[in-house]
Amino acid sequence: MPLVTLEGVSKSFGKNRVLNDINLTVEAGEVVCVIGPSGSGKSTLCRCVNRLETIDEGRITFDGRPLPAEGRELARMRAQVGMVFQSFNLFAHRTILDNITLGPRRVNGVRRAEAEEKARALLERVGIADKADRLPRQLSGGQQQRAAIARALAMEPKLMLFDEPTSALDPEMIQEVLDVMRSLAASGMTMIVVTHEMGFARSAADRVVFMADGRLLEVAPPKNFFAAPASERAADFLAKVLTH
Amino acid sequence: MRMSLTRSKRRTAPTDAIDATDSTTRAASGSRPRRPLRGAALLLAAALAGSLALSACGDDDSSDEPAAATATTFPAGSTMAKLQSASTITVGTKFDQPLFGLKNLRGEPEGFDVEIARIITDALGIPADKVKFVETVSANREPFIEQHRVDLVVATYTINDKRKQVVDFAGPYYVAGQTLMVRAGETAITGKDTLAGKKVCSVSGSTPAERIRTQAPDAELTLFDVYSKCAEALKAGQVDAVTTDNAILLGLMDSDPGAFKLVGEPFSTEPYGIGIAKGDDEFRTFINDTLEAAYTDGRYETAYKDTIGKVEPDMPTPPAVDRYTS
Amino acid sequence: MAGRPEQRSEHRADYGWSHIDAVLDNLDIFREGFVQTLRLSLFAAVSALILGTGLAAMRVSPVPPLRWAGTAYVETVRNTPLTIVFFFVVFVLPQVDIVFSYFTFAVMALTIYHTALVCEAVRSGVNGVDAGQAEAARALGLTFSQTLRLVVLPQAFRNVVQPLGSVGSALIRNTSIAAAFGVQELTGISQRLTTANPGDVVAVLLAGIVCYLVLTLSLAWAVGLTERRLTRTPR
Repeated sequence: MPLVTLEGVSKSFGKNRVLNDINLTVEAGEVVCVIGPSGSGKSTLCRCVNRLETIDEGRITFDGRPLPAEGRELARMRAQVGMVFQSFNLFAHRTILDNITLGPRRVNGVRRAEAEEKARALLERVGIADKADRLPRQLSGGQQQRAAIARALAMEPKLMLFDEPTSALDPEMIQEVLDVMRSLAASGMTMIVVTHEMGFARSAADRVVFMADGRLLEVAPPKNFFAAPASERAADFLAKVLTH
Repeated sequence: MRMSLTRSKRRTAPTDAIDATDSTTRAASGSRPRRPLRGAALLLAAALAGSLALSACGDDDSSDEPAAATATTFPAGSTMAKLQSASTITVGTKFDQPLFGLKNLRGEPEGFDVEIARIITDALGIPADKVKFVETVSANREPFIEQHRVDLVVATYTINDKRKQVVDFAGPYYVAGQTLMVRAGETAITGKDTLAGKKVCSVSGSTPAERIRTQAPDAELTLFDVYSKCAEALKAGQVDAVTTDNAILLGLMDSDPGAFKLVGEPFSTEPYGIGIAKGDDEFRTFINDTLEAAYTDGRYETAYKDTIGKVEPDMPTPPAVDRYTS
Repeated sequence: MAGRPEQRSEHRADYGWSHIDAVLDNLDIFREGFVQTLRLSLFAAVSALILGTGLAAMRVSPVPPLRWAGTAYVETVRNTPLTIVFFFVVFVLPQVDIVFSYFTFAVMALTIYHTALVCEAVRSGVNGVDAGQAEAARALGLTFSQTLRLVVLPQAFRNVVQPLGSVGSALIRNTSIAAAFGVQELTGISQRLTTANPGDVVAVLLAGIVCYLVLTLSLAWAVGLTERRLTRTPR
């Protein structure tokens, strides 16, 4: 049974059709990278999976069940899906440790001591154990994004969504975040990653999804996709991003 | 000598003047459009429209017949002679005091004070439509007299020694006093000595509020900024009595007929006088004479019956005028 | 030469002391009024803070009827003079048999009015919090109320400490309207004492002003302290 399915999903912002009849399934343990030019709808696709965006048509299921409407049911579903944002969105008024323990304690009812112990282990894993008691603004962008990944992982999610996780980072910090993501992928986590990092997509993804103009144009294993894109749009896109 | 001469001459005047007074009174009360509105709606309306109403004054209604010319002559140079030859007079009165001086919806003040003023202006031979009423609130009564912006003030104006230092008073023509107003069905409260544990309402910072503290120390005092709120609270049962001068209480009763009654003997004395410029003894004597004449010839009683008498039919004996020497 | 300034200063001292007696002789009455004003302010401030925050939550909630109700309340109350709110509470509620003491009525009227002001201050603070904060909270599985309580409001409050302080200061001054509606607080007491001491009106009124200043300046001090503590970096 696939972990996530999208069937005929469409969505418009006003007259602008940002998602057009999207069909996609993601199996448990799979790493899917979504690539494509800006404005292709790939971020929106990612945000629809945990219903941060609603859809106009079609159907999305998670773990065999359609996404619930706004309310407690949806909150329970979201607790099983970790999300990492482009702009980190760490809670600005809480320490890094508090950021990570908030979800487990308030949503899953884990006791503070237990939550903190686990949070420190996660911080160790993403390499910022010494920042536990700092506020987010005291960390570099790369450190903040790693903390945000730790926050998502603390919920022990079945699926991780990455919405352009390195796009807001200075170049020298991109690698440290990608390293964390790579080790996560290697550990068997199911991941949907919207990214511009072709190197990451090539090395870490099980499948690459190429989107343009709200349509899903190609789904292929990375070595096939990067070697011989089936569509002209994909070939154009790759020609532009890979010449640098 | 001269005094008695003027007096005897003037005796002829009132006969004509009475007619004029009567027609004025009838005109005023006959078309009296004011209806007592009820409760909070009235208070709200008053709060909202108060300032508007104040500015909506001053249209002369000259439909009244002018008083017939009188043959009375006054000593040359006297205030009376000057007013008579000018054939106009300015009277200060309250515009917001029901039964005493309250502006009606046509913009004319009416009430007992206004009628007393008419008795005097008629005696001066001034036509009713030449009498100009201006509003004197409590604080500007003395300044208006001193600045000669008014010729006389009839405005629930209590005579006291402090005021006598700056103005002179004819009269008194009425004696008010602090008393209690209760709901019409009240039986437990019969006077200030039956107020222990009762809620008594008055206006914050007023003399009656201070007086009740000493006169009925066991009463529980509730204070508002205006008496109309006290009346509303009394009707709603949130207070048990309202205390201030009976003149004001009678006005509250007039605006809500049948709801309230006065109980107990007055426990203060507020003689209402007619304020005039300091030192004008000639004018003061003339007004006192006119008042005394009105006491006996029925004009005072008519004035009372047309105003206060509608709420309190028992007319008190008119007070003796105080011809003090300053 | 030496005598003149002394004389003048003596004269000035006489003036001050004789008038201040009107205040000193009535300190217990002043304290009574001060305490009433303080109680009115505190009760109304606490209720308005709680209700106003709840109202702000309604105005930013995802449920349209709640948003509409919140907006209707704020627009109605904010555009009504406080005196009219007092009239309504003190004279209309008893007509439908809702009767409390005048002190309770005054607290109610002040609360009704300042709830709308608190709501708007908090709402502007909420809107000042980056939308990503609420999104991250929702993505973690927090409910709407948890998102507000644990993530958005704590950050909104540091933005609204100063505006809330202004609302509080207005509230303290607005308690004076209760003097016209059956509560003897500072203003009512001052009116009473000026009647009793007509020669010392200025001294009595100045004492009243000082009392209000004590309250508003204490509040301003507390606001400053809170703001500094909220913005301080831990460790």
